[in-house]
Amino acid sequence: MQHRTLKTAFAALVAASALVLAACTPATDGTTPGTTADASGAPGTGGTAIGFITVGPKDDYGYNQAVIEASVIVGEAFPDMQILTAENIPEDDSAVATMEQMIDRGAKIIFATSYGHLDAAQKVAAAHPDVVVVQQGNAIAGEPGANIGTYFGTVYEPMYLAGIAAGAATETNVLGYVYAFPIPQTIANINAFIRGAQSVNPEATVVTVSTSSWCDPAAQREAANSLLSQGADVLTQHQDCTKTVIDAAEAAGVYTVGYHADASELAPAGWLTGAVWDWGPLYVDIVENITVGDFTGGPFNANYRVGYKTGTNPFVLAGYGPSVSAETIALIAEQQAWLGSDEGSPFLGPVLAQDGSEAVADGVIPSYDELDGMNYFVAGVIGNLAN
Amino acid sequence: MTAHVDTDVDPQAPPAQATWQSKLARAGLRALPHVGRWAAAIAGALLIFSILVSFKGANPIDVFGDMWTSTFSRSRSIGEIFIRMAPLALAALAVVVPARAGMINVGGEGQVIVGAVAAAGVGLATDQVLPGGVVLLLMAIAAILAGALWAGIAALLRLVFNVNEAVTTLLLNFVSLDLLLFLIYQPWRESPTQQPATRQLATEAQLPTLAATGVHVGIVVAVIAAVVLALALGRTRWGFRLAVVGGNPEAARRAGMPVTVLLLSALLVGGALAGLAGMIEFAGVETKLRPGFGTQIGYVGFLASWLARHKPVPVLIAAFTLAALAVGADSLQLDSGLPAATINILTALLLMAVLGWTAFRKKAA
Amino acid sequence: MSILIDVATGGVRGGTSILYAGVGETVSERSGVINLGTEGSMLGGALAAYVLAAETGNPWLGVLGGAIAGAVLSSVHGVLVVRRGANQFASGLAVLFLALGLTSLFGAAYVGRTITSFQNYAIPILSDIPVLGPILFNHDPLVYLSYVVVPVVWYVLFRTRVGLLIRTAGERSEALTVHGFKVKNVRMLAVTVGGLFAGIGGAHLSIAYTNSWFENMIAGRGFIAVALVIFASWSPLRVFAGAYLFGAALALGPALQARGFGINQFALHVIPFVLTLVVLAVLGRRTISAAPAELKRVFENAPPDP
Repeated sequence: MQHRTLKTAFAALVAASALVLAACTPATDGTTPGTTADASGAPGTGGTAIGFITVGPKDDYGYNQAVIEASVIVGEAFPDMQILTAENIPEDDSAVATMEQMIDRGAKIIFATSYGHLDAAQKVAAAHPDVVVVQQGNAIAGEPGANIGTYFGTVYEPMYLAGIAAGAATETNVLGYVYAFPIPQTIANINAFIRGAQSVNPEATVVTVSTSSWCDPAAQREAANSLLSQGADVLTQHQDCTKTVIDAAEAAGVYTVGYHADASELAPAGWLTGAVWDWGPLYVDIVENITVGDFTGGPFNANYRVGYKTGTNPFVLAGYGPSVSAETIALIAEQQAWLGSDEGSPFLGPVLAQDGSEAVADGVIPSYDELDGMNYFVAGVIGNLAN
Repeated sequence: MTAHVDTDVDPQAPPAQATWQSKLARAGLRALPHVGRWAAAIAGALLIFSILVSFKGANPIDVFGDMWTSTFSRSRSIGEIFIRMAPLALAALAVVVPARAGMINVGGEGQVIVGAVAAAGVGLATDQVLPGGVVLLLMAIAAILAGALWAGIAALLRLVFNVNEAVTTLLLNFVSLDLLLFLIYQPWRESPTQQPATRQLATEAQLPTLAATGVHVGIVVAVIAAVVLALALGRTRWGFRLAVVGGNPEAARRAGMPVTVLLLSALLVGGALAGLAGMIEFAGVETKLRPGFGTQIGYVGFLASWLARHKPVPVLIAAFTLAALAVGADSLQLDSGLPAATINILTALLLMAVLGWTAFRKKAA
Repeated sequence: MSILIDVATGGVRGGTSILYAGVGETVSERSGVINLGTEGSMLGGALAAYVLAAETGNPWLGVLGGAIAGAVLSSVHGVLVVRRGANQFASGLAVLFLALGLTSLFGAAYVGRTITSFQNYAIPILSDIPVLGPILFNHDPLVYLSYVVVPVVWYVLFRTRVGLLIRTAGERSEALTVHGFKVKNVRMLAVTVGGLFAGIGGAHLSIAYTNSWFENMIAGRGFIAVALVIFASWSPLRVFAGAYLFGAALALGPALQARGFGINQFALHVIPFVLTLVVLAVLGRRTISAAPAELKRVFENAPPDP
């Protein structure tokens, strides 16, 4: 009995494999009409669709939702293009398969929008010289290929400004920060936030609690509670879903600084301000640049960083809550102008690390590239980096 | 053996032929309700799924049509199915062996991760100094040992402390995840200024691909494992004894079988297979450890094993089906605008149909 | 001292969802059915509660919706296991996958919605008791409800006729048949009630504790509830202790971090799971002897389907 099942199943498998192999060879050419590039032949031209992959769900009130909202703006700007979006794409090799599926559907431009999508993005770009893949938030080490680039805003600049609002608002001088994992982006945000706060309130400290998850509402709630019990009277966060922490702060009657999305309606009393995404204009610029065939060698064929110094930062400051004084608002406007000038930076030296050692020398402004790889906490941060 | 006797009979002899035909007819009649049950169960699952997606404004015919086209008419997708199928099949076999002895291994998820961790540890330590083939072999051995060790914790808890292995293997999944994250955020992280991940495995130490298909040899490993297990479970004393223990442990004990050793061996072999799945995913697909490594391979493998009723060779078909569904999930998003996780509904309904409505009714549990 | 109070308070607050699910699972397992789909019932309950709270503005209707959703999902498990003789572990995991898919399909629209949630209510006088006051009497109404519900479940299980039927289904099912009861009906009831409580547990997470809905927000708490029932030796009252212990383990990490202790975040994150394993091992031999006989049969010998 076992023997017969075995034989049948084996025969079936062999037959299936044969079928597959037969299907493989001819289909390769047939499935991707228009593989041959446009007249210009430049990567990313001649497509009929634009793909966006996100690591989380489309409506997380946070990072991924901001991407999807901007993809709609791209669709409006390029009505001939089909907008393909795929959510919950893990930061592993299955992202490659999803991007391949998008290419099968006519996409020549793909936005891989999570920090951890970079490896997959590079793999797809290498396999498809006619497709441009742009990755959001990470940085390519060394020289990028002709059809790939990364882009990001300088998230920590608006977080520095929000820190000013927090430093002015706190009465306990304890700020609370809920984060997921110690990646450089998060570390730079936390550091900029406390430096902003200390610029108006040298006594301020920020207490950090990690949740070991980009979105686990119950863990976020517990983290918020533990910060509140330590006397934190301003809460902020680096999480993909942001509602829980904001809600916890509002319920406790303390201030909150938003992240990713303007959530002022969730905290009508305690909302100070927030750093929120506005990707639309930058996405449209990138697509425009690619479709006219200018990508290779252009500004986006690199680790493109846009901050207050270089143009329109896609990370913008949200509106102010009722408790923020006119004086503070004026100071923030002044500081924003300073950050945009050649002399300004949240990390203008001297910057002391958490242990008191000198991290940035007096008068030095670290470059955007250096700040992309930040891996230490500055003085005033209470917490440790998973060691 | 009887089958051979039948075929040896001269087909010209009229009486023998009649017997052969009537035998076939009777076998067909016996199989008919079986086939009917399977067809009805699967149709029922598809129907319920159709109703659910139409609530969200999608046309079920289009949904299925797009999924089919997207999955089976593109060579890349077909290759992708085989790539995903390999670890799934091994993770399913990791459930099959303990199930033979009446044990439930829900820990594939963790055993896959631990296997990959061990493979990465050994692979990244040796890939600069040893030839690729040797590194691959070492990685496989390390992964097999690590997977067995991880399952061994659950085996120990079951055999020494009498704690149910389904519960402990499940809890160990969460432990392995934190172990993985710890390693890639701290000691094994390639660079603190880059994304949390290990260094990439040297190209020579990665699994080779089957000529021109882009599909790595993991699928061959999975097929061989399934066939070997079919023989081991069906033809060896160990296999028979496992089945006796699974059927009635008391009887096995009275018959003087080493029940504890048998249970231990079943769970260890299960863990080893899942560990091997982790190594294949690491050396064949991911080539570095990242957060989220191997997500759902263990759980989907568990479902595949039940779909195949814990029979090694049908496991290949179940793993193929679930891998195809996973590939088809992209189409749900790209073509139908449904959340990707919707595919879980279809997977669950299919399994429920098979669990509840394909077996001839037996005494309720 | 403050850290002890914080962790204990967090234990009650964070343990309540697990408590509900654990008590429900106790009822189910007492009848001889283990349900890994508890995780799925919690997920379904969390979403249904959130949807109803968002649509009606009444969190109590949310609890009702959560209970119903949890019960419906567990009754699917019931039908498969009790009526169709499917394997309990496989069916439970299938129910979880069903819940993952359904809540993703129907929950997406509610992620950004605001709701009228339960508020904390400090009970006068009681909440002023030193130490115990803040730990036990400054919580949301569902926490207080659990103080009543769990003893009631204990009473029903051990002091009433219905409870006797359920326990007999788990211990000596043939005795039920002799007295003219249908074992299957009793088990269906127990499994469905189990899901109902798991649904309330999910509701506590979404509309009382975090006030948010998010995909897969249960994150393993339902599995913990199942493990908990075992180390509580199938006693609803001991589930209290277990749930709070687990809740405290969840609260310990943040409490230590917020005080600046330099402990690895992943080591802290893994504590609840390791703790559960260790407790299971320590109590192992003692608890299994207390297991309902029919459940022991499921545990010790789960033969594959023919």
